[in-house]
Amino acid sequence: MSEPDLRAAVGAHRWLQSLRLRPDLLTPGLISEAQLRAEEAALLDPLNLTGAHVLEVGAANGCFSLAARRRGAVRVLATDHLAWSLPGADAQSATEWAAHAMGLPLETQVLDPRTLSADFGSFHVVLATACFEQLFNPIQALRGLRSVTSRVLLLETMQDALSDARPMMMAQSRILPYGGPEGNWVAGWAPNPPLMLHLLNDLGFNRILYRNHPVLGSARGIYAALLPEAPEGLLAGFDPPWINMTQPVG
Amino acid sequence: MLLTTSRLSDEDLLARMQSFHWWHSIALRPGLTTFGGKTELILAQEEEAILAPFNLAGRSVIDIGAWNGHFSFAAKRRGARRVLATDSYIWNHPVWRGREAFDLARSELGLDIEAALLDPPEITEKVGRFDVVLFLGVFYHLYDPIDVMQRLRGITRQLLIVETHHDLTGEARPGMVFYPDAILNQDATNWWGPNPGLMLHLFLQLGFTRVFYRDHPTLGRARGIYAAFTPEVDDGLILRLDAPWLDLDVPGAVEALALQP
Repeated sequence: MSEPDLRAAVGAHRWLQSLRLRPDLLTPGLISEAQLRAEEAALLDPLNLTGAHVLEVGAANGCFSLAARRRGAVRVLATDHLAWSLPGADAQSATEWAAHAMGLPLETQVLDPRTLSADFGSFHVVLATACFEQLFNPIQALRGLRSVTSRVLLLETMQDALSDARPMMMAQSRILPYGGPEGNWVAGWAPNPPLMLHLLNDLGFNRILYRNHPVLGSARGIYAALLPEAPEGLLAGFDPPWINMTQPVG
Repeated sequence: MLLTTSRLSDEDLLARMQSFHWWHSIALRPGLTTFGGKTELILAQEEEAILAPFNLAGRSVIDIGAWNGHFSFAAKRRGARRVLATDSYIWNHPVWRGREAFDLARSELGLDIEAALLDPPEITEKVGRFDVVLFLGVFYHLYDPIDVMQRLRGITRQLLIVETHHDLTGEARPGMVFYPDAILNQDATNWWGPNPGLMLHLFLQLGFTRVFYRDHPTLGRARGIYAAFTPEVDDGLILRLDAPWLDLDVPGAVEALALQP
């Protein structure tokens, strides 16, 4: 594709994420490249994805799916629900075009995580960013995510009630830039870390690690939940600021 | 259709009553009232708070979590055309034996009430749609109450009445507290404590258009009663929703409630 055609194609889409397609060409996404790079490092640096099967839920423009591919994953399925399916949404076609332009093979599928079950398949790593805040029923969605995870579930989410030691979540709804130009109201939740610990534990994850968001601090949290089948050696990659929530302090 | 079969002697009825653990104190005959954890007086106050504002004559009612059936019986006595009492946990429980107790009370009262074993997470529209859905004392016993509320919306034609334990009542923002390890009242079946803002949020997200609220008649803000109406509500269903009921879906109502003790 010629340089003018490439730039015209970038301009034809509305971008949620800033993806670097060429050294001098960045998609004009709502989330900056710097923030996405920091998030990618926080989420993926602890893991060796070589040969892994990865499912991303809530992929937006696929930044982390593409990163997983670059990091050696042999199968990456990028999915989204609202951002890809609300009337007027073009984020899926933008993602597919970006993957093609970057020469990284990516499977894509519209997917509501509440509908996930073991029949869908099994993935070594399941990744869900901006998770709870876009889910009307995160309890059901977590069950779905668990059902397709064979090793590690990575979750990034808005948080709230951080000063309360009791597990809880606060509901909220916001206009998100999904669908048509005006966006759409999306209802979701912001949990606190004690709640995440309990919900993930109840689903059978026996090692749960946590870190604050690399740019936005504790307003957002990142969780890595490991199933018993995940080898103990996986923990070695989770250096500070990661903490092991399931390990007694002291 | 009366469901009374062979009439037990007072002595035999008393013996049958004593063979069950009761939650509802229900007068089956003069001088013969079941020995429920909830007194007749409390149940009368709850019934007045929950059912008196509505004209149930000719309506269909489903009672989800009916336990011993007090509110199902009350709905029928208040003129409901069809009442379906449902339960699962208590009716299947080997100690509570709730279904047998319900059947004894229903039979003795001679009320034409249907009964079905129904676990709330399994509710679908196959159950049918009902003018009034009663969901009393169940929300906080569910690990996933959001899913069940969604299911309840699907079977509610006009009015969903929810009575629930509360938490975070001083907080206007919608939220709910999770109770792991039986930390709420040492009861491992208690999972969530929502606040009024959260209940309003759920009702509105599910397509209920008007939501009214009142404190529990004896326990105050620790528990709340919600009446959520669908757009299809028939005005004749509402007799009165005056104080202490308040219109929760108007701007500032939840904030004002959070500021009140």
